[in-house]
Amino acid sequence: MSFKERFIFNFIEDKQWHYITDGLKVTLLVTFCAVIIGVVLGFLLAVVRATYDKTKRMKILNFICQVYITIIRGTPVVVQLLIIFYVIFSSVNIDKTIVAILAFGMNSSAYVAEIFRSGIMSIDNGQFEAGRSLGFNYRQTMLYIIMPQAFKNVLPALGNEFIVLLKETSVAGYIALQDLTKGGDIIRSRTFDAFMPLMAVALIYLVMVMIFTKLVSMLERRLRNSDH
Amino acid sequence: MTTNGEVLIKVENLHKAFGGFHALNGISEEIRKGEVVVIVGPSGSGKSTFLRSLNLLEPPTQGKIYFEGTDITDKKVDIDKHRQKMGMVFQHFNLFPHKTILENITLAPMKLLNKTKEEAESQAMELLKLVGLEEKASAYPAQLSGGQKQRIAIIRSLAMDPDVMLFDEPTSALDPEMVGEVLELMKKLARDGMTMVVVTHEMGFAKEVGSRVLFIDEGLVKEQASPSEFFSNPKDARLKEFLSKVL
Repeated sequence: MSFKERFIFNFIEDKQWHYITDGLKVTLLVTFCAVIIGVVLGFLLAVVRATYDKTKRMKILNFICQVYITIIRGTPVVVQLLIIFYVIFSSVNIDKTIVAILAFGMNSSAYVAEIFRSGIMSIDNGQFEAGRSLGFNYRQTMLYIIMPQAFKNVLPALGNEFIVLLKETSVAGYIALQDLTKGGDIIRSRTFDAFMPLMAVALIYLVMVMIFTKLVSMLERRLRNSDH
Repeated sequence: MTTNGEVLIKVENLHKAFGGFHALNGISEEIRKGEVVVIVGPSGSGKSTFLRSLNLLEPPTQGKIYFEGTDITDKKVDIDKHRQKMGMVFQHFNLFPHKTILENITLAPMKLLNKTKEEAESQAMELLKLVGLEEKASAYPAQLSGGQKQRIAIIRSLAMDPDVMLFDEPTSALDPEMVGEVLELMKKLARDGMTMVVVTHEMGFAKEVGSRVLFIDEGLVKEQASPSEFFSNPKDARLKEFLSKVL
């Protein structure tokens, strides 16, 4: 078979390209929602951890956050996914997409939390003192002075985390969620041709990551306008 | 320079310990309205800690600080409100690098004093004119020299219309040729009647505009006098030694 014939055989016949496009939609949906959960939850975790680091307040809450981060970072995301699906929601009929969003979102939040925290701690304490001495309270100082600088500093690390997350969602097939990877794999099992569907899947991930990398570096450049 | 104004800051038996190290060992002091109090002393003497205690950037381990009659060491007191009236200038300027010069100056007045953008900006431009840096309004701190940064830091504090200005070694991080422009601004403030507490190694500044000079060593005020008395007739042995080295 020529390349063209194999392409038609794998994707055009029986409209099998639907497995790819439908899977891509699921992958994008799961990644997008997981990023939002990861950022929001990770931000809250980081605020608690950094507040404890700076002021020694919120001791108990900080301990809980630390345990959460340790467990999430200390276990594989596939295992977390399986536990959420088969253990936590075992007796509930729940959409697998939601399970995946929760699992990947929570997983990402632990990494995002440490990224944000390192960003906050990287800002010179003099900035904090300058804010407080002008009369800003702790929260205002964080919000107006520390966070904007911290965010700029951690943007590359944050972008990296989202790239990892996008690719990590490829294990969603473990709970039989038909994401992009699973879609490609279904085509493989129908056509017994591994090369075409898997290369197509790999190419799509690569293009998505490249587009995303470009967007992050554009944002970085915009935020850098104060460092002349 | 008047020294018989009302008491603005009153410090009673101030102690500060960092772990086992005692930085302040019971300082009692009064700072009156309109005074320019210059604090000198060897490094590690506790002079910066004393200054930073006045607005509770260093919370004291013991003792009381009254500012305009209120005990600000009382946990129930809203320290943020009082800090708005106590400007502070740091050795390393601490301008906000992500904000323009204009935004650095207008941020606190807009957020804390509820000034409109127009009000805050016109006030900021007045202050920038005062220091001759109005053309830097839209620049970022990284584009300024050290001396320019420190002058901006001073007027950023002035924009809050403080009752007292605290200076923590404001010229120590500057190249020698930039010290003058910062001291000139501080002298102008002093002449305009601003109450100032200044930790510095600039003895010339102390002589010229100081109303009182304190010598802090080992966490205590070892000697204090008018500048002329302080420099011409020191009594404390440690102060004599200190002055022989710095003058």
